[in-house]
Amino acid sequence: MRYDSITDAIGNTPLVRIDPAVHGLRNIDLYAKLELLNPFGSVKDRAAWNMARPHLAAAASAAAGGGGQVVELSSGNTAKALAVLAGMHGLTFKSVTNRMRIPEIKDLLLLLGAEIEELPGQSECLDPTATDDPLTLFHRTLSEPDSTYLHTDQYFNPRNTEAHFTGTGPEIVKDLDGRAPDWFIACVGTAGSSTGVARALREHDPAVRVVGLVAAKSDFIPGIRTIDEAHEVGLFDPGTYDTIEAVSADDAIEGMLTLNRRCGILAGPTGGAAYFGAVRRLHAVDDALTERQSAVFIVCDRVESYLSYVRKRRPDLFGSPRRTNSPADLSDAEIRTAPAIGVTDARAWIATGEPLVVDLRSPYAYAALHIDGSVNIVDELFEELLHGGLPFSRNRPVLLACPVGEKSARYAALLTRMGHPDVRSLTGGIIAWRDAGAPLVRD
Amino acid sequence: MGGQPLYLEPRLESRLRSLLGSPGLLHTLTDALGSPLNMVVPDQLADNLQQFRSVYGTHHLAGQVYLAHKATRSSALLRRLAATDAGVDVASLGELQHALGAGFTPDRIMATGPKNPEFLWLAARTSVTVSLDTRGELEQLATLVRKHALPRTRILLRLSGFETSGVRVLSRRSRFGTAVRELEPLLETVERYADVVDLVGVAYHLDTTSLGEKATALEGCLRVLEECRSRGLRPRAVDIGGGFGVNYLAHGGQWERYTTELTEAVLGTRPPLTYGGHGYGLRNEAGTVRGTLGLYPAHRQAAGARYLDELLAHPAASLGGRPLAALLLEHLYDLHTEPGRALLDQCGLTLTKVLEVRDQEVGGPLVVRLAAKADDVALEEHGVLMDPVVVPRDPASTGTRRDTEPVAVHLFGSLCLESDLITRRTVFLPRRPEPGDLLAFANTAGYCMDFHATRAQHQPVARKAAAWQEGDAWRWCLDDQYWPTTPVGGAQ
Repeated sequence: MRYDSITDAIGNTPLVRIDPAVHGLRNIDLYAKLELLNPFGSVKDRAAWNMARPHLAAAASAAAGGGGQVVELSSGNTAKALAVLAGMHGLTFKSVTNRMRIPEIKDLLLLLGAEIEELPGQSECLDPTATDDPLTLFHRTLSEPDSTYLHTDQYFNPRNTEAHFTGTGPEIVKDLDGRAPDWFIACVGTAGSSTGVARALREHDPAVRVVGLVAAKSDFIPGIRTIDEAHEVGLFDPGTYDTIEAVSADDAIEGMLTLNRRCGILAGPTGGAAYFGAVRRLHAVDDALTERQSAVFIVCDRVESYLSYVRKRRPDLFGSPRRTNSPADLSDAEIRTAPAIGVTDARAWIATGEPLVVDLRSPYAYAALHIDGSVNIVDELFEELLHGGLPFSRNRPVLLACPVGEKSARYAALLTRMGHPDVRSLTGGIIAWRDAGAPLVRD
Repeated sequence: MGGQPLYLEPRLESRLRSLLGSPGLLHTLTDALGSPLNMVVPDQLADNLQQFRSVYGTHHLAGQVYLAHKATRSSALLRRLAATDAGVDVASLGELQHALGAGFTPDRIMATGPKNPEFLWLAARTSVTVSLDTRGELEQLATLVRKHALPRTRILLRLSGFETSGVRVLSRRSRFGTAVRELEPLLETVERYADVVDLVGVAYHLDTTSLGEKATALEGCLRVLEECRSRGLRPRAVDIGGGFGVNYLAHGGQWERYTTELTEAVLGTRPPLTYGGHGYGLRNEAGTVRGTLGLYPAHRQAAGARYLDELLAHPAASLGGRPLAALLLEHLYDLHTEPGRALLDQCGLTLTKVLEVRDQEVGGPLVVRLAAKADDVALEEHGVLMDPVVVPRDPASTGTRRDTEPVAVHLFGSLCLESDLITRRTVFLPRRPEPGDLLAFANTAGYCMDFHATRAQHQPVARKAAAWQEGDAWRWCLDDQYWPTTPVGGAQ
C-alpha cells in the first residue's frame, strides 16, 4: 500500500481472532483490535493526530520564526505520537507529567526531541491551605498572553473521543460483517478510545455491553488509571460503562504473556490488562450462553517499551543462565578468607613498585581522589572482564581497592579462585586509607 | 451511612499496643493530669534510630542521624536520644538551649533554619555546626565570629534549585537555601572567610515525597562537592535533610477504599464522608474531580528508614547510573540525615476524654465532644486521617452495653468555635463511646501533639508524661522529670 504521508497510515488496524484453545471460552469469539500496529506504535496515534491536525499548520506558520510548541500532559504514547507529529510540522513538543514511570518511554521521547517536565511530588509537610495543584499552575502558564503553545488537552478534548467514534468503532463493525460485538472491553486511560468506540458500537446496536477496566490502586499499570484518577478525566463518564472492574499489575503482565507467547501478539501490559479483564469477565457468562456471542478488546501498544517495568515485577521471566567467574558464586568463607592487606603494609608494598593498584570505584569518584599510580576499572566493568578470564598476568601482583574493602574482598577471592597467586584486597578500603592520613591525589 | 464503616485504623507497634492495652493506667493518668494528655515512649526512639543506623550499615555509609527537634517539644524524648549516639537538628535559640541542656555535646548538634543573632552566637560559641541558608547569613556569621573572637565555626551550605539534564524535574520553590546557580559567589565568600569558617559539607532539604526530586538534589550536591574539592576546600559530608515520612495506618486496603469513596462523595455519587461535605482539596466541576487531595499519604509502603534505603539505592541518572549510596561511599562522603516525623514514629499518643455523646439527626453521625481542642491533636493541620482508639472507662461493661454496633461520629473539640473539629472526617468507631471513655490518638509524637497546640480561651496545653516498661509493667513520670537514669532508679 502506498501513502503520501505517514499520517495516512494511522488507523485501519486489523481485528484478529484469539484462538479459543488459548482463552478457553466455548461460546464467545474473542477478537483483538490491534492498535499496536499504528505507525507510531499505539492507539494514541489516532487521538493525537485528530486533536493536533486542525491546528498544526496554523501553529507552524504562527511560529515561523521558531518557538512554536505543542504541549500535552502525557506520560507515554500520546506524548510519543505528538512528538513525532510536532517534529513533522517544524514544531517542538513538551510533555508535562507526574506519571512518567517507564524509563524506556522517557528515553524514547528524548530521542524524538521532546522536552519533558516532571511535576513535583506531594509535599511531605502538608500545607492544607495550598489547594492549587501543579496542574492548575500548568494551565496558568498555557493561558499567558502571547503564548505560542498548542495544548491538545487529551483528557478534555472531544476530538480525542471523536477519533475513535469515527475511526476505531466503525472499523470494528465493518470487520465483524456489519455487526457490533456483544461485548466491548477497554482499559480506561484518557477514556477517549473506550468512550468513542462504545458510542459508535451502541449507535449500531444499543445492546452492546461495555466493560471498563481500571487499575487496582495498589500498583500501577501504564496507560490505565485507577478509579480515583479516572474521575479526574473530563472525558470519563461512568455511565459509558455497564461495569467498571479493576485489574492488578500482575494480572496485566499475565495477560500480556499469554498474548505474547501464545497468540503472536506483541502487546504491552495495557493490552495484557485488557485481555485478562476480558477473559475474566467473559468466563463468568460463557457457560450460561445458548447462542454464540462476540467480544472485542483493544491492544493498545507494544511490549518492547516495558521491559524494565516487567523486570521489576517479574524478575523470574528474565532468568538468564549463570555465568562463570561471577562474584555471586563465592561462598562466605571464601570472601572472609580472601587475601587482604592493611593500609600500612599496603603503602610499603606499593613503594616497592610491585603491585598494580586497581581502584574499583566509579570514574567520577576516582577522578576526585585516588591512590597515586592506581588504575581505575569500575566494578561493573571488572565483573564483565572476569567472565572472560584473568585480565592480568599471573606474575603481576594486584592490590584491589574499593570504598570500604567489601567489594575488593569479593574480587580478591574470585581472582584467587581463578588462579591468580598474588592478589590482595585493601582492608577498610579507600576510606581507611584516607583516615590513616595516607595521600590521595587528583590528576 | 451507606454500607460498611470506613475505618482507618492506626498502625500500632508493640509498645503503643501494650500501652493502649493498659486502660487502668490511662484512666488514672487522665484523671490525675487532665485531658488532653500527651504520652511519650522514649525507648521507641532508640529503636527507630537503630533502623536508620542499619540502613547506613547496609550501604556502608558513615555519618550522623540528626533528629529534627522542631517535630517535638518533649524533654524526655530528647534526653533519651542524648543517651544514644544520634545528633539533633535545632532550628531556634530555645531548641539549641534545650538540646545542650538535654546532654547533647556540640559535635552532635546542627543549627538550621531561620536564625537570629543570639541563636548564631550561641551556636558559634559552643562550636555547633551551622547549616547556612544564604550568602548573607554566611557573612553575618563570619562577622559575628570575628567580632566576638569565637572559635572557627564548622558550616554546611544549604543549597536549592538543582538543575537536571535530559528530563527537567520541577520542584516546589523553597524559601531556604542558595540556588546552585549562585554557587560561585557563595564559594568565594567561604574562601574569603576561611579563617573563621570551615566548610564541612553541603545540605539540601526538599519538601516532597518524590524520590526522583531528592535523587536530583543529591546528584547536584555531589557535583557541588566536587567543585569545592577542585578549589582546594575539603568538605566531607552531604546532609540530605528529612522528609522520610511515616506510615500511619495499619491497612493499605482501608486507605484505598476510603480515598475512593471520598472521591465519590465529592462527585455526589455517595453520601458525604465529612462534616459539611468538605472535600479535602477536591472539588466537583461538571462531574469531573478537580483540585488536589490535601491529605498526608497516611498509608505508605516505604516510609522512614525504608524510604531512606530506597533513596540510597536509587540510580544517579547523570552519574553513570550508579546507586546514590555507592556514589557517596566512593567519593568518601559522610551522609547526614535529619528525620523528624520518621524518627518519632510510634513514640507517643494523645489521650482525650469523651465529655458528651449526642444524637443529632436520626441515622446521622453522633456528636462526640472531647475535652481537647483540635490543635491539641492537629490531625487536620497535618492532613493525617487516622481513627482514634476507644479506651472504655469501664471495660467490664463492654459486653452488656446497649450499642455494640459500629457508629459514625463527628469529633468536636472544646473551643467555643464552630470550626473546632478534631477532624472534619466522619469517623467510624466499632461501637458507641460513652462519656468518660478515652479516645486515644496514636502516633502523635511527631508534629501532631506539639507543633500547633495553643492556650486559646485559657484552656491549658496538654500535660506530657513519659512512659517505659519494666518487666510487664508500665512506669511513668512527667515528661520534664524523665532522665536516662530514671527508668532504672524508679521515678515514682
